[in-house]
Amino acid sequence: MTRFIMLALLVNFITISQGLSALSPSDGQGGVYEDLKWKALLCCELPFAQTLDGGLSEPPPVGQCQLLNATKPEFSNTSPTLFGNCLDILCWLEGERTNLICNAKSHRAAAATSLLNIRPQLVVQMNVRSDEIMSTGSHAAQCAGEETVMCSVSLHGNDATVLLTISITLNETTALSPKMQVSTHHLRRPDAPVNLHYNVTTEGEVIFRWSDTQPDSYAVNYEIRYSSNSSLQQWEMVKVKGRSWVPLNDLSSAIRYTVQVRCQSHFSYWSEWSQPFYFTLDVSYIPAEVFTAPGSEVTVSAVFHNRSWSASKAVWMLNGQVKIPESHYRVINEQVSAVTVTVDEPGFDTLMCCHQWGERFKCFIAYAKIYTQGMFNADITCQSKNSEEDTMRCEWNKSTWAQVRLLYSSRRYTMCETISEMEGSEEAEESMSLVKECPSGPGDHRECTLRNLSMFSCYKIWLEVEGGRGKVRSFPVYVAPIDVVKPSSPTDLEATTLPNKTLSVSWKRPNLPVYDMQYELRFVALRGMANTQWKVMGPLLEPNAEILLEESCVQFNVEVRCRRLNGSGYWSDWSMSYTSVVYNRKAPEMGPDFWRIIQEDPLRNVTNTNVTLIIKQPILAGDPYSCVEGLVFEHQASGRAVWSNETTLVQFHSFQWRKEAHTVTVMSRNALGISTRNRNITLFHQPKRRVVRSFSVVANASCVHLSWSLLPDHPVPQSFVIEWLDLNKDPEQDMSLIERLQWVRVQSTARDLSLCRRFYGSEEFTLYPVFVDGEGEPVRYTATRGNPAAYILLLIIAFLSMVLFVTLLISQNQMRKLMWKDVPNPNNCSWAKGMDFRQIDTMENLFPHSEGLTACPLLLVSESICEVEIIEKPHPVTLEHEKDNVVLTYNSGDKTTTSSALLADSSEPLSLEASTAAPTPETSGQSSVTYSTILLSDQPSLLRKQQESLSSSSDEGNFSANNSDISGSFPGGLWDLENHVCSDSANPRHSSSYNSVEEFSDTSDQDYEASENTGVAKDLYYLEVNEEEDEDEEEIKETQGEQEKNEIVVRVDARPLLESKDSTSVDSNNISHSIPLYLPQFRTECINPP
Amino acid sequence: MYFPALLYPCILGMLSLVHGIPVHPDRLKNMVKLQADTIILRIKDHNEKLKLYPKLLIGDPELYPEVPADRHIQGLGSIMDTLTIFQKVLQRLPKGHVSQIRSDLSTLLGYLKERTTSMHCILKEPANGRSLDAFLEENATHHITLGYLALDRLKQFMQKLIVNLDQLKSC
Repeated sequence: MTRFIMLALLVNFITISQGLSALSPSDGQGGVYEDLKWKALLCCELPFAQTLDGGLSEPPPVGQCQLLNATKPEFSNTSPTLFGNCLDILCWLEGERTNLICNAKSHRAAAATSLLNIRPQLVVQMNVRSDEIMSTGSHAAQCAGEETVMCSVSLHGNDATVLLTISITLNETTALSPKMQVSTHHLRRPDAPVNLHYNVTTEGEVIFRWSDTQPDSYAVNYEIRYSSNSSLQQWEMVKVKGRSWVPLNDLSSAIRYTVQVRCQSHFSYWSEWSQPFYFTLDVSYIPAEVFTAPGSEVTVSAVFHNRSWSASKAVWMLNGQVKIPESHYRVINEQVSAVTVTVDEPGFDTLMCCHQWGERFKCFIAYAKIYTQGMFNADITCQSKNSEEDTMRCEWNKSTWAQVRLLYSSRRYTMCETISEMEGSEEAEESMSLVKECPSGPGDHRECTLRNLSMFSCYKIWLEVEGGRGKVRSFPVYVAPIDVVKPSSPTDLEATTLPNKTLSVSWKRPNLPVYDMQYELRFVALRGMANTQWKVMGPLLEPNAEILLEESCVQFNVEVRCRRLNGSGYWSDWSMSYTSVVYNRKAPEMGPDFWRIIQEDPLRNVTNTNVTLIIKQPILAGDPYSCVEGLVFEHQASGRAVWSNETTLVQFHSFQWRKEAHTVTVMSRNALGISTRNRNITLFHQPKRRVVRSFSVVANASCVHLSWSLLPDHPVPQSFVIEWLDLNKDPEQDMSLIERLQWVRVQSTARDLSLCRRFYGSEEFTLYPVFVDGEGEPVRYTATRGNPAAYILLLIIAFLSMVLFVTLLISQNQMRKLMWKDVPNPNNCSWAKGMDFRQIDTMENLFPHSEGLTACPLLLVSESICEVEIIEKPHPVTLEHEKDNVVLTYNSGDKTTTSSALLADSSEPLSLEASTAAPTPETSGQSSVTYSTILLSDQPSLLRKQQESLSSSSDEGNFSANNSDISGSFPGGLWDLENHVCSDSANPRHSSSYNSVEEFSDTSDQDYEASENTGVAKDLYYLEVNEEEDEDEEEIKETQGEQEKNEIVVRVDARPLLESKDSTSVDSNNISHSIPLYLPQFRTECINPP
Repeated sequence: MYFPALLYPCILGMLSLVHGIPVHPDRLKNMVKLQADTIILRIKDHNEKLKLYPKLLIGDPELYPEVPADRHIQGLGSIMDTLTIFQKVLQRLPKGHVSQIRSDLSTLLGYLKERTTSMHCILKEPANGRSLDAFLEENATHHITLGYLALDRLKQFMQKLIVNLDQLKSC
């Protein structure tokens, strides 16, 4: 039976071995990967071991195993014997590459157990091969079992190749499987791609790229999906074959997208989706970072993903501060703009492409970075502190946009000067220690504190721009901390104000640094000195000083600082302020003078009244050896104990007064005691004694004089106190009554006082008689100086009065001009022909008609003094008399014409225009006189077209008793006799005043000569000339030229004076000396004879 | 006989009150106003130091919704929510000048958190946490403009907070 079985197995083995040789896997794996598992079918030939006769044993036979295709075990049916020794091998991963588990299970267990009842012994050997494990040593596992065995080997989270060997022992026959390899990489899903990102091309195309986790990835297919929905409900999917990038062109701007990618392995396993990548397309820079050298041109493009943004409206900004000129721009296409710039200095710069939007530039967060290699100046300055822990604080400047890190290294035993000279050499670089970084790390810092330094080492310190690959950095500075020490402040400061006007100060220097120090001292007086600014003294080489003072007994605040004597370094901070001690030998002798303010609240019915003592400042020190350091206020109320308050040198002291007798004594004190001669004050509420009889105050510009007298037979006060409120101090500016109140104490013998200071003149002065046992009844008086405003008001009124007066004068002159514009010069009149008015004394001389010349008093305003007779002349005369477009024409050859007869019917002023042709002086003597009253018109004028037989004349102006300005208007030659031909006569009885429109004027020499030519010189009375006439004459001169062109406008009295029988021609030879004659000062302009 | 039974809950209630004594609302308002004013001043100082071109407008209000702009204030919850976002943004900015503002904001958030606890308010998780992280990740390299934008919006929120201090009284 046994032999039969052996024979059968041998036949089968031969048969199968031929077939297995063809099926053996060439790669040695021997199994298949399926459903994340590795499967194999191992079949072994296991011959039976035989025992020979005679008891000799043969060596155990060796079986053979072969791997079959686990998925297609076609031999299983044909080789039942072999099948009965086959093993199903299954391997899989446990966890995330934690363990590889293999299970081997015998088929015989099910088929032949019952037949032979022999179970194969299985031993599984697993050896892990991977780079990581090989480096740390081999890793293996061996497991044994019957019919079924499960073995696990740890992978330590790595992919590995596991060598699997199985030995099967059956019936003392052992078969060893071929080595099988299981790659754990194929037992799991592929890793998701990593490094998903996107690039933007200069054409604006967005390309996404990713990487596989392992270079030898078997991934062949990819899928990328993206979503704009935050809830990730809708995905857009794109399949990618054979490459790890894909362009996505359907993306919108300003939307946050989520993108993921996954890959598929050779075994069709899909990886998980990659980590989501979020992005928003707004503006992309190409390149986003530029490394360049100084002076090189840099071109950066910007892609606007927003389709509404046009590259033509791009605005490029350098560092967000400077707009780059448009000449540097280039429009690539509608969405892409490029700029070319040249950066000259090493450092870090940014470029930002914005879009013009009205007046503003819309920008996104993104910007391009330009790293210009080289070294820039960062102005690194350091200051060290030499104390228990040596530290050094460094500051620097940098670009606002740059992140920097402060680096430093040190070299011991070498001076900084030496290292800096070696700068750049390899020796110098090698000599420096390892580079350290500021503890703050990279960031936006501008300062850093380095700790645990060696004060005597040299430190090289520099900045590096983050992201600049170490090639964009600052110039280094070499600093020995000992050279930049800012020492601690001096301590143990003491100061004493000595009696010899000296401030003695001493202090203690800091222990470290140990080098020699210099010091500065500053001090300020606590009181008594107008200048409260610090006074600085130094440099001092010793830790003590003595300062000469202007006065003694003054306390000072003193501070000291120090720095290195020779060499570089910094001043320390000022020490704590110290108040000097005043040196004294004895207590003060006298207490201060003081006064009180009693403030009662009238609205509150309280028994207590607030009393404030005002201490006279400065407090007299007296002996410099007994300076006053403070005050003692000793109170004693009636029926109560004595109590006291000790204060510093205060200016005020307040307490409550209960309206009872209360005595306060103020004493000076110092460290050695209190003053003995003190002043006190007693307050009591009883009626006070009246001792002052009179009190008066008189103020002038700078002083106030006070005087008083006392009632007789009354006790003389101990002293007087005069108080007043200082009006210079504004009560609204936190000036209380106490601070505004001024007072002065006067000796009891004084009866007057002058206070010279600034007073407003409205201060109320109060005089208090002070007795030993209290105050007397005060007397008040207000300074009598008027209010300055009243003086100002008075000045204003005076000024206005002057203005009014001048205005009246001017207006009166104007009126006079209007009224007396064209009063003719009597010399021009025919009746005055040949007369010398200077020699005419009386009216009788002037007018021979005695009956008519008695009417001198008729020189009144409303009366006429001139009678004019117009005589017919042979020369043609034309007089144009215009009034309301009426022109009157007088023809020569007519009889004597009375103009008044024509004018009598006219009640309206009449303008008279006279046209005269070459009048001659001879014709004046033949004039006939008529009477008329002629008033000035507004625009008087005289035409030179005056005929010899017709002349306008005027004898008189508007005379009145008050009209003196008229009477004296013409000094010297009053009458313009320049060839005027007038026919005038005067009859006081029948005179009618008329005013010609002639202009007032000075009498020129020529006029005077002309008057002399007209006849015999006569005595003439002139009216008095006042000062105002000069002005009038000047005005007349100015207007004379104009008025020569004006027409004669006359207003004619309605009376028919030309019919008067009393009219007569003037004979210049008839001179009367009996009646003085006032001549009117006006003239007429006559036309010179041809 | 019922007194002890009533006494214990009363004592426990008093103890709990003592433990959670809230800051007086007016005092909190003053504190918040002071801190907000301080933050506003520091932000002004920080952004002025950049010396940006005056016409620049970095980040429209409709852009970058992850950083709150002109957000409505409705009680403590909304204030905390918004300030937490700003704090998150500031934490992503490099160390340096914004460190002090970050510290100020952290202190302010601490006060408000105490107030929230004492008022037993229930705070919600910020809704846009993921997109905020993504936004910060995406713009981490542009810290200057990111900081400028965030601080400018924080300043606006602080100004709004100052005029809505009564909102501190409600959850």
